[in-house]
Amino acid sequence: MSTDDRWARRLSWLWRPDPRGPRPAPRLAAPSPALQLGARPPAFAPSRRGLLRGALGGVPVAVGLPWLEIFAGRTARAETLYPVRFGVWFWGNGVRPEQWIPAGEGVGDAWALSEELAALANVKSKISVASGFAVKVPNYIPHWSGAGGLLTGLDAVGDDEDWTVQGPTIDQILAGEIGTTTIFSSLEVGVDTNEIFSFTGPNARNPAETDPLTLYERIFGPTFREPGEGGAVDPRLGYRRSVLDGVMGDVDALKAQLGASDRVRLEAHLDGLRTLEQRLARLQEDPPDLESCTRPDEPDSVYPDVDGRMQITARAQALHDVMAMALACDQTRVFSFQLSRPVANLLFPGSPDGHHNLTHDEPSPQPEVHAITMQIIAELGYFLEKLDSIPEGDETLLDHCGILCTSEHGEARTHAITDIPIVIAGGAGGALQTDVHYRSYTDENVGKVTLTLLRAMGLNATSWGAGDTYTTDGLSVLER
Amino acid sequence: MPAPAPPLHPARVAAAGPVQRDRGPRAPGPLRRAAPLVTLLALAACGDDPATKPGATDTAAEPRGPAPEVAPGSPALRRLTLSQYTHAIRDLFAADLYIPQLEPDNDVEGLLSLGASTTSVSAYGVELYETAALTIAEQVVETPDALGALLSCTPSGAGDVACAAEVLGALGHRAWRRSLTDDEVSRLADLAVAVGTADGSFNAGLMYGIAAILQSPNFLYRVEHGEGDGPVRPLTGHELATRLSFLLWNSIPDEALLAAAADGSLLTDAGLEAEARRLLADPRASDGVRNLFEEVYHLYHMDSLVKDPLVFTYASPELGQSAREETLLSIEALVLGDGGDFRELFTTQRTFVDRRLAALYGVPAVTPEGFGEVTLPDDGGRRGLFGQASFLLLQSHATSSSATRRGKFIRTVVLCQDIPAPPADVDTAIPEADATSPTLRQRLETHLTNPSCAGCHTLTDPIGLGFENFDGIARWRTTENGATIDASGDLDGVPFADAWELGEVVAQHERVGPCMTRHLYRYGTGRLESSGEQPLLDWLSDGFARSGYRFSDLLVDTVLSDGFRTVGELQ
Repeated sequence: MSTDDRWARRLSWLWRPDPRGPRPAPRLAAPSPALQLGARPPAFAPSRRGLLRGALGGVPVAVGLPWLEIFAGRTARAETLYPVRFGVWFWGNGVRPEQWIPAGEGVGDAWALSEELAALANVKSKISVASGFAVKVPNYIPHWSGAGGLLTGLDAVGDDEDWTVQGPTIDQILAGEIGTTTIFSSLEVGVDTNEIFSFTGPNARNPAETDPLTLYERIFGPTFREPGEGGAVDPRLGYRRSVLDGVMGDVDALKAQLGASDRVRLEAHLDGLRTLEQRLARLQEDPPDLESCTRPDEPDSVYPDVDGRMQITARAQALHDVMAMALACDQTRVFSFQLSRPVANLLFPGSPDGHHNLTHDEPSPQPEVHAITMQIIAELGYFLEKLDSIPEGDETLLDHCGILCTSEHGEARTHAITDIPIVIAGGAGGALQTDVHYRSYTDENVGKVTLTLLRAMGLNATSWGAGDTYTTDGLSVLER
Repeated sequence: MPAPAPPLHPARVAAAGPVQRDRGPRAPGPLRRAAPLVTLLALAACGDDPATKPGATDTAAEPRGPAPEVAPGSPALRRLTLSQYTHAIRDLFAADLYIPQLEPDNDVEGLLSLGASTTSVSAYGVELYETAALTIAEQVVETPDALGALLSCTPSGAGDVACAAEVLGALGHRAWRRSLTDDEVSRLADLAVAVGTADGSFNAGLMYGIAAILQSPNFLYRVEHGEGDGPVRPLTGHELATRLSFLLWNSIPDEALLAAAADGSLLTDAGLEAEARRLLADPRASDGVRNLFEEVYHLYHMDSLVKDPLVFTYASPELGQSAREETLLSIEALVLGDGGDFRELFTTQRTFVDRRLAALYGVPAVTPEGFGEVTLPDDGGRRGLFGQASFLLLQSHATSSSATRRGKFIRTVVLCQDIPAPPADVDTAIPEADATSPTLRQRLETHLTNPSCAGCHTLTDPIGLGFENFDGIARWRTTENGATIDASGDLDGVPFADAWELGEVVAQHERVGPCMTRHLYRYGTGRLESSGEQPLLDWLSDGFARSGYRFSDLLVDTVLSDGFRTVGELQ
């Protein structure tokens, strides 16, 4: 009998049956508006898309009819021993499209990396590039329209001082689908700021962890156990669950006093409490048995600015190292990583001005902006190579990932949301074709790429987006 | 939320003027337009004669009418901001405790207080609340002073449920700003005793009881439900006490205020005014005023200031903090001290500098450590808020000044006029400085000649160019790339020669008072005003002007108004 079992038995009143029934109950109150799902392959856990909610202009969002459009779609991906992971790897302020778009089209030797993509040479066979795609939303909030359309499939609303999304971002949709059995349903990590573009719904942003040591301690701190690591379960996990139980009762009592939009906000709080309680419960179980999982080295605690500039590379690499092992240890299957936010004005090493200023103030062809993009993609290269260095069976961790690497603009100088940079990294456990460059000459809907990724994650998604972003077609050249 | 829903597809507004959100008169009247600057300056120099104040001039003849009826907006659930959480912990426990990081605040319309009643907490944010609650609670039970202040009884053992109930009930009363029900108290005590028994110590159980209080939504959120179900619902005594203390102290009520809430005296005009004045006279009022202006003037952005030290050799990570402190100290001195005319903020030569700012401003440092009061010289060109580094640094770029940002700040934050964002798909490149256009004024000419830019930039750039004698790090300069800087211009028809005069022109602008009134009202109620509250805002603005723009009068007037004491129907 574990310590926790003894604890539970002694204090059985703390674990009395919940009159509301088993938790978490799948709720359909506010499904993800941008996404429609067909019949779910039976292998999947109950949806937690009840998480995806928010209030917009006082009206709780309840858009979409996710269960209406049922069709006998493709069968679920063949199960492998290794979980498939999803990630968004985002940077702000776009690229220089002339120097970004690869030469040649097709598979393998038919295309070559461009100058701005050169840092990905060692993983070229495990990535694909889609160019010439556009975000099909009205582009009236510079930066935020593009980011919103790209990652939620819906317009951002508001103005540049006060805007929000209308639905959850793709990482949070997938957190509710493939993130339900891990310690963390998703991890949000940012290099330049904790304000990253990850939302569970309108006005419900997920803040990121920016400090490598704090991220490390959150995942690999005292509660972490390596595969096969025994020992008594910490009794404090049980105490903490007892506290959470009472707090959830307080939330329920409070909800009765509120109007609808505030109830939605408190429901988000309740979801957070449930997520935390589930995490504590899982920490009381034996850890997953994954061959490459080891507790990583503790990162440095401080990264002082050098000459007034953030140590972008040192911070990004430390964060990437922790994230890679979090994925290898199956602590999460979904992440959102942001090297820099939209409109970021980071001072990169060697750069004469902040990134955002340069995109607007530097005359074409903007060599300094180009140099910054090269630095950004070098950070991505580090991460992808790190994932590719972690073996999983005959393959690597990167082979079991599908990572959308992108930015809110093509050319930021004009706030263009055409020629959006898209790299899809990893083969998603065999669901994605890699080493492909697909070039669109017709400003195709970037939602096609999104839909392909959702399907590669095993979702039986029939459509993505609404209005001009709506699509039922994926990017078939990438689908296997 | 009562926030006006933005149009989903607004038409391009390239040539639109500033959009008035409230219904006050917009353009300066012909009288003011014609007033020569020299007259304005001469009048201002006369001191506090109410006749020099445009607002007062218009209204002094008629007595002030009664406050208009108010149709308040729907109540909003307000989550504590980071600084409110921090102050509440300080006031709850008699010790200096370490508070781990929490989810960052979000601003809505520039105010974190509005973000706190709009946004939802993330799952990570809930996790951070748990970590913070446990970390704080652990420190409390391990810090003798804090524990001693809390333990009103001596526990007979780990299972002393009566003592646990007494301690946690009293703490809950302060933290939740209301009396706990018997059931709430017994659940907390049962939890503490259960853990304490399992762990073998009363204090261990107490720690988890404290953590439960701090993680509860009753602590983390401010509920403003009001009494009854009508369209105008008076706040309960405890709700009003909470609103009042967070407005004036940026923290939880003390026992005296809770007592006034419990005995009903706070619900009377006299009782409310007495409590408001008591709180304003308390040292904690400094926290309230500082936080208000930290939000109104966006000083919370000072933490993420990006300045290139290769261009600005005075840049340092601490400069932003110094600049923030200077501004907050000058506002405190103006608002809490002798209670002068709020608009002096824009013209005063009195400020507070540490050695870093003294060097930047070229004035003697008055104290080797910390901040000291100085009077800026008459001929230095620098005075008022717009001569302070906080404004000049924040409304600039990493490597240069920005006339657009500085002008936009005056329009949107000081005068409450809207400036639309630049349209997408435009080339926003500003030409490099060269021999033919060495100054920013010359480089910005496209802003004012290209019609798709001019609509908005004529509203911002001519004002912002008035500050061009201050570079992107707030250093005084008279030339740029060898050419003499021309900092003259006009604000809504009133000309100015430079930033020194511009401060006065802004101070005399008729929208300064109404704009500050609106900021305060939004901050205090935690929501955007509804159309049914506009008459009240006009009335409060008028009162502000009649008082000679004494900020403490505006605070008390706002607190006593029905807008502050009631909420509308649930939505």
